[in-house]
Amino acid sequence: MNPFLPIELERTELWLLADKAIYWPAEQTLLIADIHFGKAAAYRRLGQPVPKGTTETNLQRLDTLLQQYPSQGLIFLGDFLHAPESRTPETHAQLLAWRRRHRLLEITLIRGNHDRRAGDPPVELGITVVPEPLLLGPFALQHEPEPHPTHHVLAGHLHPAFRLHGRGRQSLRLPCFCIGERVSLLPAFGSFTGMMDIGAGVAQRLYVTGQGSVWQVR
Amino acid sequence: MHEASPSSGSNLAETWFLRRAWQPFPFQREVWQAVRQGESGLLHATTGSGKTYAVWLGALERFASVAASPDKPASLTVLWITPMRALAADTARALQTPVDELGIHWRIGLRTGDTGSAERARQSRRLPSALVTTPESLTLLLTRADARQAFGQLRMVIVDEWHELLGNKRGVQLQLALARLRRWMPELIVWGLSATLGNLQAAKDILLYPAQGRLVQGRIDKPLAIDSLLPPSIERFPWAGHLGLRMLPQVVEQIQSAATSLVFTNTRSQAERWYQALLEARPDWAGLIALHHGSLAREVRDWVELGLKQGALKAVVCTSSLDLGVDFLPVERVLQIGSPKGVARLMQRAGRSGHAPGRTSRVTLVPTHSLEVIEAAAAQVAVAERRIEARSAPHQPLDVLVQHLVSMALGGGFRPDDLFAEVRQAWSYRELDHAQWQWALAFVRHGGHSLTAYPDYQRVEPDESGLWKVPSKRVALRHRMSIGTIVSDASLTVKFWARGGTGRSLGSIEEGFIARLRPGDCFLFGGRLLELVRVENMTVYVNRATSRKAAVPRWNGGRMPLSSELADAVVEQLGAASRGHFDSDEMRLVQPLLQVQMDWSSLPSETTLLAEVMKSREGWHLFLYPFAGRHVHLGLASLLAWRMGQRQPLTFSIAVNDYGLELLSATALDWLHELTPTLFDTDDLLHDVLASLNASELARRRFREIARIAGLVFSGYPGAQKSARQLQASSGLFFDVFRQYDPANLLLTQAEEEVLRQELEIERLEQTLTRLQQRRLAVHQIKRTTPLAFPLMVERFRESMSSEKLADRIRRMVAELDKAAGPGGYQPEPHADITVERETRRARKPRKRKDGTPAPPGTKPR
Repeated sequence: MNPFLPIELERTELWLLADKAIYWPAEQTLLIADIHFGKAAAYRRLGQPVPKGTTETNLQRLDTLLQQYPSQGLIFLGDFLHAPESRTPETHAQLLAWRRRHRLLEITLIRGNHDRRAGDPPVELGITVVPEPLLLGPFALQHEPEPHPTHHVLAGHLHPAFRLHGRGRQSLRLPCFCIGERVSLLPAFGSFTGMMDIGAGVAQRLYVTGQGSVWQVR
Repeated sequence: MHEASPSSGSNLAETWFLRRAWQPFPFQREVWQAVRQGESGLLHATTGSGKTYAVWLGALERFASVAASPDKPASLTVLWITPMRALAADTARALQTPVDELGIHWRIGLRTGDTGSAERARQSRRLPSALVTTPESLTLLLTRADARQAFGQLRMVIVDEWHELLGNKRGVQLQLALARLRRWMPELIVWGLSATLGNLQAAKDILLYPAQGRLVQGRIDKPLAIDSLLPPSIERFPWAGHLGLRMLPQVVEQIQSAATSLVFTNTRSQAERWYQALLEARPDWAGLIALHHGSLAREVRDWVELGLKQGALKAVVCTSSLDLGVDFLPVERVLQIGSPKGVARLMQRAGRSGHAPGRTSRVTLVPTHSLEVIEAAAAQVAVAERRIEARSAPHQPLDVLVQHLVSMALGGGFRPDDLFAEVRQAWSYRELDHAQWQWALAFVRHGGHSLTAYPDYQRVEPDESGLWKVPSKRVALRHRMSIGTIVSDASLTVKFWARGGTGRSLGSIEEGFIARLRPGDCFLFGGRLLELVRVENMTVYVNRATSRKAAVPRWNGGRMPLSSELADAVVEQLGAASRGHFDSDEMRLVQPLLQVQMDWSSLPSETTLLAEVMKSREGWHLFLYPFAGRHVHLGLASLLAWRMGQRQPLTFSIAVNDYGLELLSATALDWLHELTPTLFDTDDLLHDVLASLNASELARRRFREIARIAGLVFSGYPGAQKSARQLQASSGLFFDVFRQYDPANLLLTQAEEEVLRQELEIERLEQTLTRLQQRRLAVHQIKRTTPLAFPLMVERFRESMSSEKLADRIRRMVAELDKAAGPGGYQPEPHADITVERETRRARKPRKRKDGTPAPPGTKPR
């Protein structure tokens, strides 16, 4: 089991976390893509009965990561809120309570396509909202995986997954990190999000996550 | 047109027949008499036998005497339910003729998904005297707030092609609608029309429940001739992949010899391919042959149907889309490409030919691989002995119930106690208990028990007086848009690319297929070779292509299993062969194949269960041949895999076809030692099958349909903005969320039950196990793939089933990847490595990776 896997990218050490996030030790910063808060609530609002609990799970997973990896900063690479209908009092209360447990944490959101429709997070959450790209060290932090002229892009948006094939015609589909030459992708963090298959061709290095571990595939 | 006074109601039907110089059949008189007495019933009759006039004239005779004038036609009196909206227009025309000729002042109307807004507006003011509609549109009409008033004068409901609806959820939806109509009009007369079924009595009881009614035997089936088209020689390694195009020259010859033929295939892809092949073989037939399947645009299908009626077409390659409907008199011959799958289905298809006077219905089976030659022999015996399959209705599907509750809340609102009593008047829900009812109520109100008092959720709410209604207009609209029980993948419209987006629509195609293509790739659709230009706003834009290489879309329609009746007949043929009897041309033709099978292993029979075990480079294989149809085999394979997995952690890849199943393990497994009779025990069957479901993907896939019907997944408004897609989630995602956060949700339970009943057919599985226990298990260690094992080996559709830890599976696969790693990355072992004996004469090597043939996993285009 390796709950995290250090890799070197642009001469910087990054840790790929089994729980679908990146930790940047030098900056003491956690990078999270596509958390999609309030997605289930938005469905319920439209009369579709999705069970409660997804937001709570997301927040608990964040708590665990913040506890295990000393962080001063937390950066969301877009799609913080899922939809305008996600702005429910209950979701709001949950987020606010969580924020009060992490008062000193510096939180930044890079606006993604869902945020543009859903609107920025409530001010009380104390989240700095910026448009993409956010340049930090050698990286351009973005939501959409568009190449940047000077910086290596770390992005989300695609919810990448990779299908592993084994002997006896077996296969498994798992969320993955795709580390490319100019653009690298994070898996979607949110527990109520889908995935998109990524072919082996697009990335130089691929890491899948599953059962509390990160595995290099190529 | 004759003008006559309809006042002489009592012999109106006789009068009309007399005028036409027709002699009524006894069954028509029997139906007229029964309707006259206010009786309900089921009429067993095939298409073209005069069943329409039996029920329709009966209805006119009883109800048309009501005074009405041309400017104020009678209000809605008769509902005519048809399973296919394509049939509605033809039916309406057929009903119109006697109405005109008898001078009855009735307006005949149509209401289907195709009905235009002007006609719908007219109907919302006043419904026609007789309305031809589908089960979905009927439910939609019942969601009108004034439904009770609009249906107030309804006297009779006729359900055409009831055998098509009986066995599925559309039929259940209709049962519920009928329960409502009967509550409003206790005297309502209901008649069903059904083709031949193994259980007509039950079919009648389900439709008329809780009443009994009369079963009327229609005109005796006309003579039926079945033969088969046999190739001069056969492949000894039968392979379903190539779609039987080897038979093309002979099929061309048969089409040539008849005036008009219908060429039935089992899938839309097969139809596309055969149409293309026929055109290539006979370019001079361009314009004379046509293609017909459910994904083609309505206009295209209309054109083909018109051509058939007028006798302008030489042949039409079609799927079940032409199983039903009005008769095409010019059709002389029916060809069935591939397995007929069932006795009733074969007879239905045969019945599409020979309607012109003095002709017999004739169907010719065209086997697409060697094992289907055996099926052809078996089908002839089974039809001759009239071993026709029974069909039963689904047992209280909760998704349909939940949908119905919302519909009824829209239709003027409901009071729970009244509706509970009403719903239990539908056969499928006759045993619905209070707890399930309470759950369904809670589900439409709160979304299930786990969501109780969640403030932002509301679908149906009781008002101050206790009447349950839908308070939100938005929810109401969404619900009306998604009424129905037919589920398909998200489908995209296919259009020619033209500036300004004015290109012509060709039909629809599933998103999953298009997702695998890139712009510039070519595919076959609607009998045309097309090049993908771009995909935008749920539309696939295409150009005509010139390239020779093209993909054929695979539509994910359910694959129909071989029926027990036909499978048993096949085993009998094999049993006879094992005793040295080869009594038909078909069986003599496949004798070399069966000989190889006997030399390398043995033949299954009525008394033995054949098992073959083998080690290949891929792993450790078990092949088992219960001949119980693919659904049962899938259940059996999951069960065996799960029971094996209880002894040690294992991962299996599972392949099934109608004859048998394959379990493949990547890690060492001593099958000879492990294959014990206890694996086939019926003890704890339900528990074990449920447990095996959890370890496989089956329930998750089944949930797709349930989620749609219960309103969890919304397929969107037509022409909706892109932002609407942000509010669509896949049913797979829902399934995971429910499993994690609301495991007691009854829709999950239903998904499991449905997998058990429909996909795995648990009752058939139990019967199969019981039968297998009585058979002697004959296990053969084989060195190479036998003729029976070969088709399983190349089967593309695979399930997996695991009792290993996920981490162990990942570790193993990653390790295998490392081992195989090269400059080009991971390459799975191609199938060429399977140990198929090459030295046998004329055993053809499978053509690899041509269109329509299985490609090795991992090499499919991304």
